[in-house]
Formats: sequence, structure tokens, C-alpha cells
Amino acid sequence: MNEFYDYLQSETEKGDRKLSRIKKKSGGNDISLVMPKRMYFFIVPAIALFLIFWIFPVLQLFYYSITNFNGINYNYDFVGLDNYIRLFKEGTLANSIKNTLVYAIIIVIGSNIIGLAMAMALDVKIKGKTFFRTATFIPALFSAIVVGFIWSYVYMPESGMIATLLNFIGLDGSKFNLLGNYKTALYGISFVDIWKNVGTTMIIYLAGLQTIDTSLLEAGRIDGCSDWQLLRKVKLPLITSTITINVILNVIAGLKAFDYSFIMTNGGPGKSTNTLMFTIYRIAFTDQMMGKASAFSVASFFVIILITIFMLIFLNKKEVDL
Amino acid sequence: MKRKKFLALALVLTLTVSAFTGCGSKSNGSTADKSGTKEDGKVTEENITLTMMYSGVQTENDFETEVLPKLVKEKFPNITLEVTKLPDDQYYTALKTKLASGEAPDIILVQPKNAGSNSVIGLAKAGYLLDLSDMNAIKLAGDSASESFSYDGKVYGIASGATMLGTYYNKDIFAANNLEVPTNWDEFLNVCEVLKNAGIQPIVMGDKDSYVLQFGLYQLAANVVYPKNSSYDDQLGEGETKFTDEGTWDKVLEMYNTLYEKGYIIESSLGLGATQAIQKFVDGEAAMTFDGSFNVNAITAKGAIDFERGYFPLPGNAAGEDVYASVAPGAGPAIYSGTKYPDEVKAILDYWYDGESDLYKAYADSGRVVVTYGYGTDKNNPLFTSFLDLYNEGKAFYWCNQAWPAGVETEMQALFSEMIGGQGTKVTDITNGMQMKFEELYTE
Repeated sequence: MNEFYDYLQSETEKGDRKLSRIKKKSGGNDISLVMPKRMYFFIVPAIALFLIFWIFPVLQLFYYSITNFNGINYNYDFVGLDNYIRLFKEGTLANSIKNTLVYAIIIVIGSNIIGLAMAMALDVKIKGKTFFRTATFIPALFSAIVVGFIWSYVYMPESGMIATLLNFIGLDGSKFNLLGNYKTALYGISFVDIWKNVGTTMIIYLAGLQTIDTSLLEAGRIDGCSDWQLLRKVKLPLITSTITINVILNVIAGLKAFDYSFIMTNGGPGKSTNTLMFTIYRIAFTDQMMGKASAFSVASFFVIILITIFMLIFLNKKEVDL
Repeated sequence: MKRKKFLALALVLTLTVSAFTGCGSKSNGSTADKSGTKEDGKVTEENITLTMMYSGVQTENDFETEVLPKLVKEKFPNITLEVTKLPDDQYYTALKTKLASGEAPDIILVQPKNAGSNSVIGLAKAGYLLDLSDMNAIKLAGDSASESFSYDGKVYGIASGATMLGTYYNKDIFAANNLEVPTNWDEFLNVCEVLKNAGIQPIVMGDKDSYVLQFGLYQLAANVVYPKNSSYDDQLGEGETKFTDEGTWDKVLEMYNTLYEKGYIIESSLGLGATQAIQKFVDGEAAMTFDGSFNVNAITAKGAIDFERGYFPLPGNAAGEDVYASVAPGAGPAIYSGTKYPDEVKAILDYWYDGESDLYKAYADSGRVVVTYGYGTDKNNPLFTSFLDLYNEGKAFYWCNQAWPAGVETEMQALFSEMIGGQGTKVTDITNGMQMKFEELYTE
């Protein structure tokens, strides 16, 4: 027994000596045995990949934005702020920001109101509930290209689906030309975006609504809440986080709007459906001006940052308020 | 302290790595003129593999990806040709990346003048192309074709046939209204007026795909701008001419706008897509449409009713003057300057474009190009005859945007759409916009 005790004691002392040695080596600082410093070596591969394929290209964007690089010829010149000045002068930037914001606002409002309404309707006990839920979600499963092509036939003047329907009910369908009109083209394509993505928004709302404790609703009813009060005072406050998620997702979708401008209108008529992303694409790949496109990207980067900051402040506040 | 050192080390490591990769991609330009040490003109007997990259959509029994490698193998048993074909946008991206990394294919597709991101002038200027001036195929293609593929007096690409822009018309409707093919602008306007009064939509265009605006405008420019000054576009670069010059583009745009103002072109054109417009023409809902020879299959496809199609160059000329057509030498092959086998690649291209070989025959028979010389000229679609006659008489000009830096035509389309969309844009705004865009994009 004593021998064992001695052994234990000596081992402990050995360990202490070792520890103090290590401590001495490390300059007297405390070190973690679980996470020794050499472990940091293991993050080098991940950091390297991250830097090479993500950070470095992003930084290059700033660099190229002050050159006249065309994507092919590496003998480019530095042009200072010319690219930026031109973007402002041409009005391309202002026009694209305006279009993107209008697009984003339409889909945030449209998607959320319709999505919430559908989620409410599908949250009640009705026959064929699963079928309706599936049906509302199906458009979200199609690719944007397919949806864009289908809808350009729906919108087609004179012989498209809507024009035919208008003719059928006795209205003049030949005047219907949504995508060909400067004032309506942007609304036309944002509606398609809502149609396609409202299913996703609806599903998230549905999930949110189902987390609401039914006892709270019952308590509300006993206290004499009307259906509207129940929605306004009980349901909505309880799904604020869901609303936040949906608004953010739709803002993101709105700010990166590209698909339908590209497929359905090609940015037209004129420049009325040029969104930020579409304009970057057009400058980079049609005009072959990578430098100017980089400048445009940098500008959009700041616009998006501003919008994000604003959103975070606003939504955080709202979430607390409700 | 140590943690910081580690981080610094990691940073240095990654930066070194990225710096090296950066160097790798930039060093390619200098390898441009590396050519084999073999005797000139002699084809190697070693087994070699050559690569080729083209743009387009692969079809059944595709000429470039299937027929061409097979026939090259028959003629040169030791040479294997590997062909990749990519959709246009992907092709541009792939080409750019491969050129930048110094690993471009031996044969690439280039477009004449300044057209597109694979324009012969752009690539030749950057030193990516091999001088082909001494090749037999260049001599056969003719001067106008070579001219379109030249930069600094040297020829860098081979024209593949010719592509034309014209006016497809419904012969049955013309006959029913006692109309003949117009030979000058006034006659053309008269044709439209007669059709309109008869309750027939004269012209359908799918301006929602705004590139179709070029189809009409370039035909007019071929009659209005270039006959007076054939080097108008070259002089744009030197500043001797401008889009804003009186009697040039202002006139072209004004003339084309007349067709919209008078309702000759369908009113809803801005909401119609290009294919939807073709469908309307094919269904007999309009008498004419401006389109290219590349769409002949879609235009001659069977629609709701049967009728005979005709094709004529839009006469933008005044009475008593000659009609000019808008005919462009087609995009064709060029050789990457970094190729290891310049002589072998040249031998293949000379064989391909000699006007009589099996390969040339297969190429002419593929039906995708309108050949301008040698075998197969008699088999061209009769719709194109009047155009090719004009081309051979020298009464044809290339498509305007082929000589412009890419992007000028998009500006033209956007501004012209604004004008016909009732946004208050005037002809002078368009010419000014085009001139500004040209000056911005043009680099000497």
C-alpha cells in the first residue's frame, strides 16, 4: 500500500516538474493541454483555401475597379476613379439601384403578405390540406429559366395566356403588353419572382404558425379576442422571428435579382429592368469591361452593406418591440 | 506573442502560395511566339493530339465534334483532333480562362473585326493568335473575308462562309396584293402602306429581345452609311468620323423609326420575344420580318398556314441608286499562338478550307454555313442567291457591330427601344449615346 502511495507521489511530482518545464518554455504563460498552440497549424489548409478563393478575389475586385482591364488583355492601365465617375455620370448606377430597390420592396411585401395569408389558410383543418400545401410549393421547385420562359408566353401580347383570357371575357387583349411597357415591365418580372418563391415563404410561415401553443389561442378566445385580435395580438408577436427570417430572405433575393431580367426582358425595354446584378453582368460580359464592372460591384457592395445595416437595426428593434 | 507569430506565418504561407498562382496566370503572354523547331511546312509523323474549341450547340452528327475529327484522322492518321463545343457564353468564359492560364486549345473560333469577346482584333492585339496570311485557305476565301479577319495588315482567321441579314416576306400575301419586291426605300414604304391599308400587319419584330433591332438597322446602314464611305468604321477609331455626323446614323435611325411611327412594325413589338415574332410570321399573321440567314430553318418551318417565303435585302437606297446587302463573313477558326504544332494545325485548316476536299464537302453539306466558293455553292438555299450575287459583286457590307467594340450596339438597342417605347428619346440622343459608348469602349 505504501509503495503504491510513494509511486503515486513520485509520478505526481514528475508531472508537476514537467508542467513547470513547459510553463518555463512558454514564457511562464498558462497553456492549455487540450488545445496546444501547435494545433493552429491544422487550420492553415482551411485558411489558405479561404484566402485564395474568397478573400483574395474580393480584394482583387477593389484593385481591378481602378483599371481598364477587359478580362483578356493583361496590359491594362490604371485609370484612377474614372470608372466610378463614369458610372455616376451615365446614371447607370442610380437607375440600377432604383430598379433593384423597387424590385426588392415589391417582392418583400408581396411575398410576405401572400405567403402569410396562404400559410394561415393552410394552417386550418380543411380537406385536402396536403394537396393544397404541395400545390402552392410546386412553383418553387422549377428552375428560374423554365419559369421565365413559361411566363414570357403568359405575358405575350395579343396571343399570350393573359391576353387570350382578356379577349375571352370581352376586354381588349391586344392592348395588353406588360413586358413591352416601360412603366410595367419591372412589376411584371417581380410578380413572376413572387409567384415562384411564395411557396418557400409560405412553408416557413406555416412552420412558424405551428409552433404557436394552442393553449395561448384558447386563452385568448376565452378572454374574448376576435379573430383579428387573435392574429394581431397573439399570433404575429409569436412568429416575429419567422417574419424576420422571411423578410431577410426576400431582401436578399431582391437584391440579387438577375434571373428574370435576364431571361424575360434582357434588361429592357431600354434599361427599365436593369438590376444591380444584371448591370454588372452586362458591363462585364457584353461590354467586356471588367474594370468598370468591378467598380460597379464595389459600389453595389456599399449599397448592399448600407441596406443590411439598416435592416439589422430596424428588424432587431421590431423584434424586441413586438 | 506566439499565437501572433503563428498567424503571421500562416498569412505569409498563404500569400506566397497566392502570389505564385498569380505569377502562373500572368506569364503566358510571353510564350506567344514559341514555335516548333521543325522544318517549315512539314507535318510531323509522330502521333500527336491537337485540341480545338468552338462555340455553338451540339447537334446530331455534329460537324465540328464528330465529322471533322473523323475526316482529319482519315487524312492525317497520326493526328487526333479533340473538339469541344460550348454554348456561346460558356465558350467566352472558357476561352478567356484558358488563354489567361496559357493552356488554350490549338484551334479556336474567332469572330471578324471587333465582334464579341472572341474578336479577331482583340485576340490578335493581345498576341494570342498566329499569323495565317500565307495560307492557301486565306487566298481562297477572298479579299473581303480576309479584310474582316485582319489586324495590322496580317490575317489571323479564316472566314466560314457568309451570313446575311435580310427581309423575309410572305410571297402569297405580296401576290394577293399585287406587290413586287421593292428596290428602293420609297417603294418599300409603299409596300408597307398598301399592306397596312389592306388590313395586314406589314412587319413583325420581336423587340423584347432587343438584338433583333440590329437586323433592320444594319441593312439600312449598309445602304446609307457605307456606300458613301467604306472606311467609316475604321475612321471612327481615329475620330475622323462620328456617329453624330449628319446623313449617317441619324438618317438610318430616322428611317427605321418611320416604320414604327407609321405602325408598319407591329405595335406590341417591345413585348414580343424573337421566337414569338418568328412564330407570328410563320403563322401568316404578318407579311414580313427582318431576320438573318442563320434563322432560315425557323422561318421556313411549317406554321398555321402554308405559304411561300421570299428573302430580299431591305432597300435603304434612294431611287436610282444601287441596293447594298448586309452580309457578314462568318466566324471561323484561328490558331492559338502558343500551339506546339503550328505547321500541323495549318495543314489541317488548309485541307479543311481548300474548296474541294472531302472535309470541305462535308463542311458545305453540313448546311450550317452558306459557302461562298468551291463545292456546294450551287446547293445554297435559293433564298440567298440574290444576296450572294451582291456579295460577289462587292455590293455588300459586313454587320456594323462587327467593327465596333462590343457594347456599342447594346447602347444603340437600349436607346432605340426607349425611343419606340415613347420615353422621349430622340435620334440625336441615340447617336450621342452611341458615340459616347464608342469612345468609352474603344482602345487603341
